[in-house]
Amino acid sequence: MLRRTFLMLTTSLAMACAAGQANAACSPDYTGVTLTVASQTGPYIASALKLGADEWAKKTCGKVNVVEFPWSELYPKIATSLTASDATFDLVSFAPAWLPDFVPYLSEMPKEMQSGKDWDDIEPAYRERLMVWEGKIYSQSMDGDVHTYTYRTDLFSDPKEKDAFKAKYGYDLAPPKTWKQYLDIAEFFQRPDKGLWGTAEAFRRGGQQFWFFFSHAAAYANNPNYPGAMFFDPETMDAQINNPGWVKGLEEYIRASKLGPPNALNFSFGEVNAAVAGGQVAESIGWGDTGVIAADPKQSKISGKVGSAMLPGSDEIWNAKTKKWDKFPSVIPGPFMAFGGWQIAVPKAGKNQKAAWDFVKTLTSPEVSGQAAITGGSGVNPYRKSHTANLQLWSKIFSPEEAKEYLGAQSDSINAKNVALDMRLPGYFSYTEVVEIELGKALAGQTTPQAALDAMAKEWNRLTDEFGRAKQLAAYRAAMGLPPKN
Amino acid sequence: MMRNDPIKHVFIWPAVLVVLAISIFPLIYSLTTSFLSYRLIPPIPPRVVWLGNYATLLQEPRFWSALFTTTLIAFIAVGLQYAIGFGVALALNARVPGERLFRVALLLPMLLAPVAVALVARMMFNPTMGPLNQFLSKFGLVNLPFLTNGHWALACIIAVEVWQWTPFVILMMLAGLQTLPEDVYEAAELENASAWQQFWGITFPMMLPISAAVVFIRLIESYKIMDTVFVMTGGGPGVDTETLTLFAYQEGFKKFNLGYTSALSFLFLIAITIIGVTYLALLRPHLEKRR
Repeated sequence: MLRRTFLMLTTSLAMACAAGQANAACSPDYTGVTLTVASQTGPYIASALKLGADEWAKKTCGKVNVVEFPWSELYPKIATSLTASDATFDLVSFAPAWLPDFVPYLSEMPKEMQSGKDWDDIEPAYRERLMVWEGKIYSQSMDGDVHTYTYRTDLFSDPKEKDAFKAKYGYDLAPPKTWKQYLDIAEFFQRPDKGLWGTAEAFRRGGQQFWFFFSHAAAYANNPNYPGAMFFDPETMDAQINNPGWVKGLEEYIRASKLGPPNALNFSFGEVNAAVAGGQVAESIGWGDTGVIAADPKQSKISGKVGSAMLPGSDEIWNAKTKKWDKFPSVIPGPFMAFGGWQIAVPKAGKNQKAAWDFVKTLTSPEVSGQAAITGGSGVNPYRKSHTANLQLWSKIFSPEEAKEYLGAQSDSINAKNVALDMRLPGYFSYTEVVEIELGKALAGQTTPQAALDAMAKEWNRLTDEFGRAKQLAAYRAAMGLPPKN
Repeated sequence: MMRNDPIKHVFIWPAVLVVLAISIFPLIYSLTTSFLSYRLIPPIPPRVVWLGNYATLLQEPRFWSALFTTTLIAFIAVGLQYAIGFGVALALNARVPGERLFRVALLLPMLLAPVAVALVARMMFNPTMGPLNQFLSKFGLVNLPFLTNGHWALACIIAVEVWQWTPFVILMMLAGLQTLPEDVYEAAELENASAWQQFWGITFPMMLPISAAVVFIRLIESYKIMDTVFVMTGGGPGVDTETLTLFAYQEGFKKFNLGYTSALSFLFLIAITIIGVTYLALLRPHLEKRR
């Protein structure tokens, strides 16, 4: 009897210890919880979410199911689910530009996540601007997006090329400071007979095309003397997209389309990366993925020859208030936070909100996000100070010189005084659809740049009136970090 | 059971209610929505605009452009499908060697999902990596802007439509040809009628009813084209290849402009009805002659 009692006690003790160990392994314990995340089709972003899901599963014993939709389908899928207030998704990953449309259906980030070391580590451009809507935090950046410039260092450092370039254009071959220089370089390296073209940008409707156009225009339309007036006049909400700054941007964007590979008009960002990594082009603009993919020897023919810089700028910027060009003593770089980096949020209708925010914490932790940032094809670009400060982290994919230029370009762009924020407005798709349509016509030569931009401006003004000018003006000012108008 | 037995209501009303629930009510709801200015994003409270959405649409160049593009694709594609399909059906009906193999092989495109076909076509027509331009390059010819020029893109969409749906025409026409009476042809042979005369005098007129049905089905289906265009061109460049369904999709599922999209759907319905009724009215005298 005593023996049996002792055996039972021992067994109970062993089971209690085992259970204790299991609970200790799951901290916090989300055993049995399965989170569903809406994402664009991988590998971009979806693979980063899966990386975070694996880490979260190890930590909490919960599961994450990443549901992927093609880019063009993501907005309708999320919007339909949110407006129907169903609990299809516990988390949604999306573009910051869609935040105004989604805000009424999202839960606010728990206050305890809005402070501490990890919080302060997020670059202010994201933490204080893109993650904020009307003073509240509804989403967390999981990717940093700013357009930068990528070039082939082997071509740019070749003495023969340098001499020939200087002889033709009268200045040194180097990463361009202005868009004119950018086009000169593209023209110089346009050698179809040798399988080399000038530049690669996205020009395809539905292929992230308009962000590339915005990058060109930012240099001429984002005036530091009249902040926040790049897309609309922040006093009247009149569309600015047809002002002379934008016209110049569009003319140069069209010119760039003629200095790319023959199928450039069909390029989305994926094709841009393929062209750069394939050594087809001398230079390019785009998100940070380009540099990472081009540096990866498994994916690239130009590994070890990848240079990075900030986007070109201008010393003349259109002033929407005075309706004149403002002349500056030197060239002002024109970085543009195109897209603004993927964000992740928790819908109000979600049934596992606490677990969902905990997943966000793991996913965007410096360790997990740092790993994602150096993984080619993850779609995650630096958005934390620790991402760009840790050169050691990047030594796995870049040479020291490449890493220095790449991280310098990223950090300088995000922190530049005149960095242009992307448009964030309710009804975003209605505004960008007409841009895509008219850009297509202008690129195909069916209409002039001015006529295309006039058509965009007319539709933007009509949409603003339809959605309510005062409401849209308030939203636009909030998006541009301007105080509410009295 | 007497004619006026109330029990009849027990049998009739469930069926009536089911029909109302699954077809009439959604249609009425959609019609009602078409009289509203109603957006889900950004959320705007519904407001009655009566025929405002219809008036806006009728003044919208993009609507007319989409209608023209859809009509162009439908008429050219169906015309080619009919001509090629009838020709192939005639050849197969002549019991050529290996006819069964040809019949199965020629039907394969119809069995594929249009999205898959469009994806393959997008690769085929890729200006640099696509086999078509690579083939042209071997002969020193320039790369053609298959999907980046409006006219070429339309031609490519029509080519894909013809490739995928001609088998349907072949199938139907072959079935029709196999029901034609042999004795009429034997009589024609005795009269020394040539093959051409036999076709125009016997085959074509006797195949007219089935031809009318096949063309009608294909025409209506072609007006609903969406997936092929969506995948191959997304409606671009500009709106050069945007069809009515794609336009409705953009308004409804991208901009969530529900009132406007409902009005667009009803205009689409009206357009298809007019085309269908005109088509049948034009054919009626010829078909009645056959009775």
